[in-house]
Amino acid sequence: MLAALFEGLALVLQWKPLLFMLIGIVVGFWVGLLPGLGGATTLALMLPFIYGMQPVEAFAFLLGMHAVVATTGDITSILFGVPGEATTAAIILDGHAMAKKGEAGRALGAALASSLIGAMIGAFALAAAVPVVRPLVLTFGSPELFMLAIVGLAFIASLSAQGARGMVRGFIVGGLGLLLAMVGQDPQAGIARFTLGTLYLWQGLDLVPVLVGLFAIPEIIDLAVRGTAIAGELPQGRLTKGALEGVKDAFRHIGLTIRCSLIGTFIGVMPGLGGSVAQWMAYGHASQSARTPEERRGFGAGDVRGVLGPGAACNSKEGGALIPTVAFGVPGSTAMAILLGGFFILGLVPGPDMLTTHLTVTFSMVWTIVLANVVTVAACFMFLDRLARLTAVPGHRLIPVILVLVFIGSYTANNQYADVLMTLVFGALGYLMVSAGWPRAPFVLGLVLGKIAENYLYISVARYEASWLARPVVLVLIALAVAVIAYPLIQQRRHARKAQHA
Amino acid sequence: MRSLLFAALAAIPLAAGAQSSPYAGKTITIVVGYKAGGGYDAIARLLARHLPKHIPGKPTIIVQNMPGANSMIAANHVFSVAKSDGLTLGTFNRNLPIAQLTKVEGVKFDMRKFVWVGSAASEATILAIRSDLPYKTVEDLKKADKPIVIGATGPGANTYDFPLLLKDLLGLNLKIVSGYSSSADIMLAIERKEADGRAGSLTSIMPFIDRKLVRPIMRARAVEPGIEKLPVDEDLAPNPRAKAIMALRSAPEIIGRPYVMPPGTPEATANIMRKAFAETIADKDLIAEAKKAKMDLNYVGADEAQKVLKEMLEQPKDVVDEFSKYIKFGE
Repeated sequence: MLAALFEGLALVLQWKPLLFMLIGIVVGFWVGLLPGLGGATTLALMLPFIYGMQPVEAFAFLLGMHAVVATTGDITSILFGVPGEATTAAIILDGHAMAKKGEAGRALGAALASSLIGAMIGAFALAAAVPVVRPLVLTFGSPELFMLAIVGLAFIASLSAQGARGMVRGFIVGGLGLLLAMVGQDPQAGIARFTLGTLYLWQGLDLVPVLVGLFAIPEIIDLAVRGTAIAGELPQGRLTKGALEGVKDAFRHIGLTIRCSLIGTFIGVMPGLGGSVAQWMAYGHASQSARTPEERRGFGAGDVRGVLGPGAACNSKEGGALIPTVAFGVPGSTAMAILLGGFFILGLVPGPDMLTTHLTVTFSMVWTIVLANVVTVAACFMFLDRLARLTAVPGHRLIPVILVLVFIGSYTANNQYADVLMTLVFGALGYLMVSAGWPRAPFVLGLVLGKIAENYLYISVARYEASWLARPVVLVLIALAVAVIAYPLIQQRRHARKAQHA
Repeated sequence: MRSLLFAALAAIPLAAGAQSSPYAGKTITIVVGYKAGGGYDAIARLLARHLPKHIPGKPTIIVQNMPGANSMIAANHVFSVAKSDGLTLGTFNRNLPIAQLTKVEGVKFDMRKFVWVGSAASEATILAIRSDLPYKTVEDLKKADKPIVIGATGPGANTYDFPLLLKDLLGLNLKIVSGYSSSADIMLAIERKEADGRAGSLTSIMPFIDRKLVRPIMRARAVEPGIEKLPVDEDLAPNPRAKAIMALRSAPEIIGRPYVMPPGTPEATANIMRKAFAETIADKDLIAEAKKAKMDLNYVGADEAQKVLKEMLEQPKDVVDEFSKYIKFGE
C-alpha cells in the first residue's frame, strides 16, 4: 500500500500529467473567481477533452480544475461578499466582514491556509478511508440522512444569533428556508407546488441566484450607501500586512481547522447530502467554539474562526466525495456524477477494483488534490497584496464591475431572465434581513436541506414505518440535535449565574 | 445597392455547384433541455463534435443548455421562438409527448409539428432485483409473501412509472418508495438493503448487473442488444386496456433521445440533417467514443418517430383518461 502511495505520486509528477494539471488549475482558478459559473458545469465541458488521455493525465486535468474552484471561490466571497461558488457562501459572513474592517489580507490568508489544510486532510481521508468506507457509507441509510439534516439545521439555527430571542429567529428563518425548498414538482405525487403558474419554478429555486442575491445585493447596497471603499477609509498599510497573520490564525486554531476539515470530509462521504451543506455545518461548529456571549456576538462581524471553518470544510469535502465515487460508483455530488462519466470514458470501473488493481490511479487522485491546492495557494499568495488592495478601491468604481459579475453569474444558472429576477427578489429579502438583524445562514441551510429532509423522511416512513425512530444511529442523532439546541441556553444560564455571583 | 451586392455574393457559392450547402460557414445550435452534465447533454456534446464532418459545408455546432420544467421551457422555445432556418436543433425529455397527451399546464408545443430529425438512441427500461433475494422470475414477484421494496426517484421517471404499472396492472407484489435524488442514490439504497430493487434504463443498471449486485427480471418494449430474451410487460397484460396503457408509457423510450428542428424548417434542410445523423451515428470514431462512455446509440428515423407519436397522441379519450390516473409527466 505504501509502495502504491509513492507510485501514485511518481505517476502525477511525470511531465504530461503535471502539464494537464496546470491547465486544469488555470481553468479552475477563473471558474472559482467568477460567480455563477460552477465547478460541475465546467467539469461537464472539460469531459470531452479526456478521450485519448491516460487515466492519470485525465484525473490530473479534471481534479486539478475541480480541486481549486473552492479555494479561489473563497477569494471572491471574502473580497466582495459575492459568493464565487455556491459552496463558498458561508465564508462571506465573517470573511467579508473582516474585509470591511480592513482585514482582507488576514481573511484571505486564513481562508487559503485553511483551504490547504482542509484539502490535505480530505485527501488523506480518501487514502485512509479505503478499508472502512464500505461499512461507514452503508450504515447511513435514509433515516440517518434525514436526522443528519435535522441536526445540521438545529446546529445553525441555534448558533447563528445570540440569546433565546436570536435562537427563535434562527428557527423561524430556518423554517422559512425549509418552506421555500418545497417549491417545485414534488417527488411523491408529481404535483407542481407553489410554482405560481410559471415553468421556471418547476425545478424549484435554483441555489445560485438565491445565494448571489441574498449575500451580494445587501453588500452592494451597503457599499453604495457608505460611498467609500469596501474597507472604508482605513489606512492602506493595514490591508496586506495581515496575510501572514491569517496563516498564523489557521495554526492558532488548528484544532478547529482540523475538526471542520473532518466535518467537511464526512459530509462529502455521505452521498445525497450535497456539496453546499458542508460549509454551513462547519460554520455552525466554528461559531459553537465561542465561549462567552461577547465572543459569540463577534461571529458575523469578522471573527477569523468563521473564515477558517468553512474554508477548511469546503476543500476537505472533495476528498470525501471521491470516496463513494471511487469505491461504489455512487457519486456524492453533481460534480462527482460527471467525474464518474470520466471513469467510464477512461475504461475504469469504479468499485473494489479501484482499491486493488488500480490503486495507484486512486492514489494519483489523492496527490492531484494535494498538489493542485499547493500550487493554487502558492499562486494566490503571490497576488494576495493586489487582491487585498481591491478593498481600497472606491465603491463607485467597483460597484458597476461587481453588479455585472453578479447578474451574469446568476444568469448562467439557467440562462433565463427569471434567474436575474430571482437574484433581485432574494437581494431585497437579504437586505431586509441584514438591516433587521435576522441571520441568513439558517435560511440558506433550510433551503439546501429542505428537499433532502423531505425526501428522506418520506422514504424512512414509507420503508420502515415508525420503526426507523428506534435505529441506534438515529437515536444518537436525535440526542445530538437536542443537545445542540439546549447547549447555548445552558451556557447562557450558567454565564448569567456566574455574573450574579460575582 | 448594398443588399444587391450581398445577394450577388450569396449567389456565388450556389452558382458554383449544385452540391454546395446552406450550412457552409454557419453555426448550428443544439438546444438541450437540461443542465450540462446529464445524459441528454452528453449525447448532444458527442454529436456536436462528430456531426459537422457529415454535413456538407462543415458548419460549427455548439450546445446550448436551456434547463427548466423537465425541458418544457426548451421545447416551447424551439417550437415558437427559434428560427426555422435549419440552424437550430432541439433535444428534450423523451416524455414530452406524455406531457402533451395528459395536457400538462405550460405545454405550448405539438410534438407532431416539430420537423423531426429522429432519435439518437432507444432507451430500454428494465426491472432489476437484488441478486441475494430468491426472486428470479415475474411469477416469483407476483407470489412474493411480503411486498418487494422498489426504490424510485419520482413520478414521471421510468424508475417510478414502470414498476407502478407492473404493480397495478400485472399484480406484482411491489412497494414503491420514491424520493431518492438520483438513480445512483437508489443503487446505494439497494447496497445497504434499504431497497430490494429498482427499475431504470439498462445503461444505468448495467454496471451493477455486471457486478452481480442485481439481476434483471423483465423489461419494457424498447429493446437493446443483450436483453432481447427478458419477458416484456405488455406481453403479460391481462387485458387490452392494460396493454394499451403500458404501450403508451413505453412508447417514448423507442425515440429515447429525440432530435427535432423548429416547425417550418425547409424539408430539404431537414433531409440534409437526417442523412448526416444517420451517417454520424454509424461513424466509426463516434461509435468508439460512445462505447467508451457506455452510451449505446442507434439512429431511429424521422418517419418512425412520427409513427410512434401518431400512435401515442391519437389514443381514444377513455384510454388517455385511464393512463392519466397512473402516469404523471415529470423529470
